[in-house]
Amino acid sequence: METVTIQKLSKTYPGGKEALKQLSLSLNKGEVFGFLGPNGAGKTTTVKLLTGVLAPSGGSCDIMGVNPNTQPEKAHLLSGIVTEHAQMYDNLTGMGNLIFYAAAFGLEQKEGKQRGESLLKELELTEAKDRKLATYSTGMRQRLSLARALLHRPKVLFLDEPTSGLDPESAQNVNQMIHNLASKEGITVFLCTHQLRYAQEICTRYGLIEHGSLLASGTIDELRTQAFPSKSLRICASAVPEKLNFVKRRANEFETQIQDKKEIPDLVRKIVEAGEDIYSVNLIEPSLEDIYFALTAGRKEDRAI
Amino acid sequence: MKAAMYAIIKKDFRGVASNRRLFSALLIVPLALTIVLPSIFVIAIHFAPDDPDITKLLSLLPEAAQAESLELTLSGMVLNYILPVFFLMIPIMAASIMAASAFVGEKERHTLETLLYCPLTLKQIFRAKVWASFLLSMLVSLISFTAMFLVIEAELFFLMGRLLVPSVSWLVVMLLLSPAISLIAVTLIVRGSAKAQSVEESQQAAVFLIIPLILFIAGQFTGVLLMNVWILLGLGAVCAILAWFLLQKSMGRFTYEKLLQ
Repeated sequence: METVTIQKLSKTYPGGKEALKQLSLSLNKGEVFGFLGPNGAGKTTTVKLLTGVLAPSGGSCDIMGVNPNTQPEKAHLLSGIVTEHAQMYDNLTGMGNLIFYAAAFGLEQKEGKQRGESLLKELELTEAKDRKLATYSTGMRQRLSLARALLHRPKVLFLDEPTSGLDPESAQNVNQMIHNLASKEGITVFLCTHQLRYAQEICTRYGLIEHGSLLASGTIDELRTQAFPSKSLRICASAVPEKLNFVKRRANEFETQIQDKKEIPDLVRKIVEAGEDIYSVNLIEPSLEDIYFALTAGRKEDRAI
Repeated sequence: MKAAMYAIIKKDFRGVASNRRLFSALLIVPLALTIVLPSIFVIAIHFAPDDPDITKLLSLLPEAAQAESLELTLSGMVLNYILPVFFLMIPIMAASIMAASAFVGEKERHTLETLLYCPLTLKQIFRAKVWASFLLSMLVSLISFTAMFLVIEAELFFLMGRLLVPSVSWLVVMLLLSPAISLIAVTLIVRGSAKAQSVEESQQAAVFLIIPLILFIAGQFTGVLLMNVWILLGLGAVCAILAWFLLQKSMGRFTYEKLLQ
């Protein structure tokens, strides 16, 4: 089931800057969609368009059938939003903030308090709940923002750089939470980040954006095929028959390019039949980072031509 | 979504009320205006020699405004014709402090975006902001009125041995005219704060609006009070309609994008 649909969405700011060019995407229920791109690529603009705080210059988008541009208040009820600029009140305590936002989202006082407490516990903020927000560290604020966004049990979660400022432990905790939200509760997560390694840990599908245009989208395997038509196979063996076209990298280490992993058994068999010993076989899979740079480099070359 | 608007009103209201320094500053000027100044009037009236010129002047007043002694007539004049004017200025002053930072204050603290992500329309957020400032102004006004009334009546009782009954116009001023004018000012200031880029800019714009309004009210209103109470009532009704109209129309052209710019 599609929860977020974007069709030819464009945004040109009043100054003439074209932040988004004809973006088309769709997100399914329970998916963690990583929206990747450098700063200024148009990620935040997309989130703002999807949450209705910006009006599109062209195209349309909807969240579970609600157009955020015409009915932002309904779209907000369906979505939880964490962005760098959506801060909370320094003069209120952590819990005070959550109680206020719970009430603003129409939760009963008792329910809001209970929900707030369980989220604070999950995000390891229970000890700091009665402290004023002014005393919170960046990481604590970030986690409280996540709690705030989840108060009303949204169907779609928009996260703009959710782990920036978090220490590795908290980041892992937040990742686990996002993963559980998507897989167990069926929440669709739209995650914007430029931290590719982080994205690879939790996303199920990706969209790569640069200069307001979508470069590619799909699962990591789909992107790999797109960016690297051939794969590297590295084999450690006593020797490899020359006719197999392996390149020697180091002593006992050989590498070749294959199109599909189905070619591996045949290659291994041939080496063994030649009487050689095999110590290890590794299919080198390009990381998201490699894919990203390969795709953006391709784009740059196209532009240069 | 009444509960959500109520939550915003409560949050804004507590934001000012919990800041004791700000809240006491909010109360000091109105209390000075309504306790110190009237006390000086009453004491001056009591201790001033009977001036024949003033007696002559007072004899020109309509009979209804005359009391049994010069002292009481003058005190009645102060109570019923001069002091109500203060209650048109006080709510505007009190409300302007909170109203001027309504939107731009949230913007400066980076909380506006979060507020806009709540499931409320801009109109509802705007109204919640207006009501918060309006309620604060009414609270300050009520505290000032109670304090003034108690102090003046006590002074009158101890100095002149009598209590004065406030005129009907007080009722119209406190229940209709003062809230209506305050609501007009609050709506305009909150609207200004949505356009402003900084709290300072918004406050300056508010002062620019308030000073002429206060001068206009202070200058003209004493005269209006001398007229019929029905005229006062009519004026109050006109102001109330204007306030309602402004509240309905003010946020019409605003968009999230404009607010966040």
